[in-house]
Amino acid sequence: MLNVSRITAGYGGHKVIKGVSLNVPEGALITIIGPNGHGKTTLLRCISGIVPIDDGRIVFDGKQIDGSRVDEIVKLGMVHIPQGDLLYPDMTVDDNLLMGGYLIKSVTQLEDRREKVLDLFPTLSERKKQIASTLSGGERRMLAMGRGLMTGAKILLLDEPSLGLAPVVIEKIFETIRKLNKDGQTILLIEENVSRAISVSDHIYLLDEGQIAWEGSGHDLSGNEQLMEVFLGG
Amino acid sequence: MDGWVQIIASGLTVGAMYAVSTIALSLVWGALNVLNMGQGAMLAVGGYIAYTAATALNLPIPLAIGVAIIVGAGIGVLMYFLIIKFMIGKDSFETNVIIATFGFALVLENLILRFYGAYPLRQPIGIDGGWYIGATHIPYQNVLLIVASGVLMVVVAYILKNTRMGRAIRATAQNREATELMGVRVSWVFLQVLMLGGGLAAVSGIMLSTLTTLAPTMGYDPMLKAFIICVIAGLGNIYGALVSAFVLGLFEVSIQFMFGVRFGFPALLLLVILALIWRPYGVFGRRKTDRL
Repeated sequence: MLNVSRITAGYGGHKVIKGVSLNVPEGALITIIGPNGHGKTTLLRCISGIVPIDDGRIVFDGKQIDGSRVDEIVKLGMVHIPQGDLLYPDMTVDDNLLMGGYLIKSVTQLEDRREKVLDLFPTLSERKKQIASTLSGGERRMLAMGRGLMTGAKILLLDEPSLGLAPVVIEKIFETIRKLNKDGQTILLIEENVSRAISVSDHIYLLDEGQIAWEGSGHDLSGNEQLMEVFLGG
Repeated sequence: MDGWVQIIASGLTVGAMYAVSTIALSLVWGALNVLNMGQGAMLAVGGYIAYTAATALNLPIPLAIGVAIIVGAGIGVLMYFLIIKFMIGKDSFETNVIIATFGFALVLENLILRFYGAYPLRQPIGIDGGWYIGATHIPYQNVLLIVASGVLMVVVAYILKNTRMGRAIRATAQNREATELMGVRVSWVFLQVLMLGGGLAAVSGIMLSTLTTLAPTMGYDPMLKAFIICVIAGLGNIYGALVSAFVLGLFEVSIQFMFGVRFGFPALLLLVILALIWRPYGVFGRRKTDRL
C-alpha cells in the first residue's frame, strides 16, 4: 500500500534521511525502531509531506505522492498522528474530533465516524464538551488518535503513541492499536520500546543514522542478540 | 449624572468601532500569526467606497454599504494573491508580511489621494436625530453603530463557532501543522481570513467615517487602537478582544472626560505597559507552554 524507495531528506544542508526504503503492505502493522535523533520522526514527516524529500520516490495506493501538498496526501487516505499530540488546546474534545472529520462532507457519515471513534475511546465520550487542554496526558493521546481516525484514512502513521505515558495507559493505547490492526487498519508505527514493538509488529525496520540498518520480523529481532545489544542496549 | 451618561454612551460607541476593527486584526493575527499593516488603509478604502457608492453612484445606503464590504473583502483577496501567497512557507514570513502589507497600505492610501484628494469629505451615510437622557443628547447614529457592531459580532462568532470554515480558522490559529495533517488546505484558510478581515475593515471604516470625516489616513488611529486592544487582550484571542474593545473604549472616554482629551491615548499606552509587565500573554491570553 505504501512504498518508500531510496528517499533522502534533511534540514538545510544537513542530511537526516540517507536513502531509506521501506514497504507497508495492506493490513500490516509495520514498526520503525531505532535510537532517538536518528531520523524516525523526520522519515514519517517525509511520508506525510511535511518535510520535502530531496531524492527518491514515495508511492501510496498506486500514486506517487512525494512533492504533493500535505492536504492532498490526507485526501488520498493517509493520516499522520504526530508526536506530542498537537491537539487544539482551546477547542472542546468534540471540536477536535470534528476537525479530524474536516474532509467528510456528509453529516450522517460524520456522525457515524464519530460514534465509531467514541466507541473505541469511551473516556472521550464522557468528556465531549471539555476543553482539550484540561485533559490528562493519556486522554490527550487518545484524543489525538481519535482525531486522526476521524479522517477514515487507509493508513495510519503513528509517531510514538506511548511517549511520556504511564505504563497502564500505554497498555491501553497498544490494546487499541492491536484492535485497529486486527480490524484491517494498515499502520506504520514508530516505537522506542523494542519489546513492545516486537510484540505487535508484522515487520520491523531499524533506523540508524538515517539508514535502515536492519529489517526483519519481531521473532528475528529477539533472536539476534548482537543487534539487541549494539543498537538497543539489551 | 449627565456626565456619566455621556461617558457611557460615547464609550460604548467608541468601543463598538474598536471592536469591529479589532476582530479584523485579531482574526488575521490568530490564523496567520502576522500583523496586517494594511488594515488601516483597508478601513479607509471601505469608507471611501461607501461614499462613492452612495453619492456618485447614487445607490441606496444599505446597498452602498454592501458594495463597500464586497470591495473590502476583495482587497483582502488581492492582498493574498499579490503578497501573502508568495511568502507562505518562506523564511521570516512574519517580518516580510509586516513590511509588505505596510507597502500595500501606502499604495492604497495614495490611490485614495489620487482619486479623492487630501481634503476630508463628509460621509453621507447616517441618520439624524437622537434621544435625550436627562440633558444628554444620544444621537441615533451612535445607537445604530453599537447595534450594528453587536450584530456583526454575533455573526462572526457564529461563523467561527459553528461552521466548518470557522472551525478550520480556529484550528489554524491554534495549530497550523495539525490542521494541515487533518487535510485542510491552510493557504485557503489564510485567504478566507483575509477576505473576512477585509470585509470587517470596510465596515469599521464606514462606521468611523460617519462619526468623523473621510480622510486618506483615517485608518491609522483605529488600527493602532486595535493593536493595543489585541496586545492587552492577548493576540489572536477574539473573545478577549471584544470585551477589551468595549472596556478600553469606556476607559479612554472616561479619561478624556475627566482629565482632558489629550490624556486618552497616553492612558491606553500606560495600560499596555502594565499588561506587558503583569500578563505579557494578555489579560485573556493563556500562557503558551510547549510540552511533549
